Amino acid sequence: MRDVTLAIAGSGGDGVITAGDFIVQAAARKGLNAFMLKSYGPQIRGGESSARIRISDRPLYSQGDFVDFLVVFSWKDLARFLDEIKLRKGAVVLYDEADKTPPEEFPIDAELGAELIPVPFKKMAAEEIKVPLTKNMVALGVIAELLHLPLDAIKDAVIKKFGKRKPEAAEVNIHAIDLGKKWVNDNLPKGTQIVLEAEGTDEPKLVMTGDDAVAFGALHAGVKVFAGYPITPASPILEFLSKWLPNFGGTVVQTEDEIAAISYAIGASWAGRQAMTASSGPGIALKQEALGLAGIAEIPLVVVNVQRVGPSTGIPSKSEQADLYQAVGGTPGDIPRVVLAPSDVEDNFQVAIEAFYLAEKYQIPVIILSDQFLGERSETIDEKVLFARKRVISRQLAKLNGGEYKRYKLTDTGVSPMTIPGMRGGQYITSGLEHLEDGRPTSSGTIHQVMSEKRARKLHLIAEESGFVRTYGDPEAELAILAWGSSKGAVREAVEAAAEQGLKVKAIVPQLIYPLPEKVLDEALQGVKRAVVIELSYGAQFYRFLRAYYDGLPAETYSYARGGANPLLVSEVLEQIQKYAQEA
Amino acid sequence: MEPVKLTAKDYKTSVPIVWCPGCGDFGVLNAMHQAAAELAIPPENLMVVSGIGCSSRIGGYVNAFGFNTIHGRALPIASGAKLARPEMTVWAAGGDGDGYSIGTNHFVHTIRRNSDLTYIVMDNNIYGLTKGQVSPTTPHGDVTKSTPMGNPDRPLNPLALALELGATFIAQGFSGNVKHLRDLIVQGTRHKGFALINVKSPCVTFRGRQEFTVVREHGVYLDESHDPSDWNQAHEVTQWSEKIPLGVIYKIEGVPTLDQVAADLQEKAREKQHFESTKDLLRIFH
Repeated sequence: MRDVTLAIAGSGGDGVITAGDFIVQAAARKGLNAFMLKSYGPQIRGGESSARIRISDRPLYSQGDFVDFLVVFSWKDLARFLDEIKLRKGAVVLYDEADKTPPEEFPIDAELGAELIPVPFKKMAAEEIKVPLTKNMVALGVIAELLHLPLDAIKDAVIKKFGKRKPEAAEVNIHAIDLGKKWVNDNLPKGTQIVLEAEGTDEPKLVMTGDDAVAFGALHAGVKVFAGYPITPASPILEFLSKWLPNFGGTVVQTEDEIAAISYAIGASWAGRQAMTASSGPGIALKQEALGLAGIAEIPLVVVNVQRVGPSTGIPSKSEQADLYQAVGGTPGDIPRVVLAPSDVEDNFQVAIEAFYLAEKYQIPVIILSDQFLGERSETIDEKVLFARKRVISRQLAKLNGGEYKRYKLTDTGVSPMTIPGMRGGQYITSGLEHLEDGRPTSSGTIHQVMSEKRARKLHLIAEESGFVRTYGDPEAELAILAWGSSKGAVREAVEAAAEQGLKVKAIVPQLIYPLPEKVLDEALQGVKRAVVIELSYGAQFYRFLRAYYDGLPAETYSYARGGANPLLVSEVLEQIQKYAQEA
Repeated sequence: MEPVKLTAKDYKTSVPIVWCPGCGDFGVLNAMHQAAAELAIPPENLMVVSGIGCSSRIGGYVNAFGFNTIHGRALPIASGAKLARPEMTVWAAGGDGDGYSIGTNHFVHTIRRNSDLTYIVMDNNIYGLTKGQVSPTTPHGDVTKSTPMGNPDRPLNPLALALELGATFIAQGFSGNVKHLRDLIVQGTRHKGFALINVKSPCVTFRGRQEFTVVREHGVYLDESHDPSDWNQAHEVTQWSEKIPLGVIYKIEGVPTLDQVAADLQEKAREKQHFESTKDLLRIFH
């Protein structure tokens, strides 16, 4: 097989995620592509957790619908992931024989004909290594041997993790891995292997999560002040920048609340430094009033929303695409804002840079709509791709010549030269009040109209910025799938699978959601007779948004929308393609 | 060439003032203009960040980088600005509703971080801009538009709260004594750290002109017998019930400020990590 999906399920203390991380890092070292999803129960410690890893030498866009290879430390824990872990027919399942659940109670569909193999993971760790906690490493050895994963690269990753500080820990773990490998050779007949036949390029790749990528992108774009408040699943952004931003002359403040976080960012940006805040749906709701302030006061600002399942507390550890309305329509009043949607881990990095580019150039708040599915997954990335696109990020500062300075001077572009503290003669009053060109407050309806038009002019220009729509598949197709954000992965893979089946379909994925790049969408939709809008929002927010904001949809436009939590499957999308392509 | 001496006039703006005739806030504004001149802060190096309310309009009335923000958020916005530009002087301003009700959380944590701001609160014991509702400092029992049967709540004591939270500079002024208030603002600005200046600034429209008389009759100017570095003495002063203390109640120096801590951390990080560029940082992803 050139493309293997494996999963490990256990309790929080089983080291499931650690084992998964090592596998992904090993793949990266070999130049293979890997994709890992982590899944947790609600407990802080000791709850169920699973790692799902897909490895291939081909580009990977999704987590893979079916699992080929499963390691179970506890059947009870696995039972909680049945929604997410669907086995392929004939999958190999290794389970810890220490779990005494009778085979007839295994939560596995007998019709799948899975090959069930008991392994003494716990026993080997406890009795031979004398460290029960190493059972994940024993399992790693077993997995590596059965899949023919690069053992040397796994060991390298282990050594790197424990580094110079704990050489004895590295040694114990490597011993455990070797023990797992030996167990396979001593106990399993040859041919049990699901051999991964993917050859790596041997050009090492980077491993990044989406949250780290967006934070790293912001750092690369020159963020100087980041303020945030802990919230799942956005906290890793706060943690990443806390660790690395000071080295680059910036500051992170973990504020008292979500409102303070966006307020710090607004203050810092107004005073002349690039600033950002990040949160998830509930926190973004709290920030809305301040976001409106940044809009009317025309202050550059980047706000990341790592969406989770809502409403209210929802399912904090899982993903959904239902904060679109909040992004395009939140805050009182008609306030210009930009909404960008990254669609994979690398894109999180790029979008962070685009966000600063647009925010600074147009003096506008930019919302990045990431989600848990992007934020918490790990992907391998090509270093070369990361810095391929160059953006000049700069704010248009006023040239003061002693005359009267008008902060909100009416211009053709809607962008007025800004001053920042320290610029002599550049003083003005900034406010959330409607204002005249010089910033003085006004209650005039006429001025309000003129200023609303001025602010909206920026949106027309932003919609014409290039490079914000991706298309995949057959350019001549009469059927198009419209999707956004993290749905891109399954959609892209489904479009490729459909092509192999001889179905003509294309996918259109805008990265810029608001303002919609209408001209580019028009071009992409040329010749398209039917479209299906696919999303993870029960209320079909993207479909309804397109209906409301875009006139270019084909007359036959359908919606496939469901609530989030379970990632979009390739098979789900493919079903839609088959349904509508066959009507051709 | 001698630098031009700045006067209070240099800090006035052409923004029309919306306050009622006789409003206490005029005295505060005058004191701010005079203090800025006394401190000789170039207007372009001064930021005045206010919240929402009658008094928060003050952000537009000082020739500076003024920012009339949103309700209750003057302190975090001012703190973000100071963090971004530590070389600038930042004044935050607002009313009792803005600072001690909707913005209380920020009041608490700005003090905790010792953000280097001078926070001038025009405390008039009422919501004026919304035309006369009870505020967090309205005395118990007072009839207001939203408490027709008398204020059922006990008032908040901002001075005691600030002291308990570890504020490094606490003063109280009176808008009827501009010179004294000017001196407090000057001292608060020179103080390295968070300086609270609570100003008795009567609302003549919704509380009546007699509020000025109340402060004049009950106000006690702290003299040399009060040692502002003595926490216990300061505490006692904040507990006065009949008399109204005026002057610097508490002051300690040497507590690190938010921007100093940030600068130290940057230095430490560079020593330890010394990444020259974001490309260098790529190695953490290998």
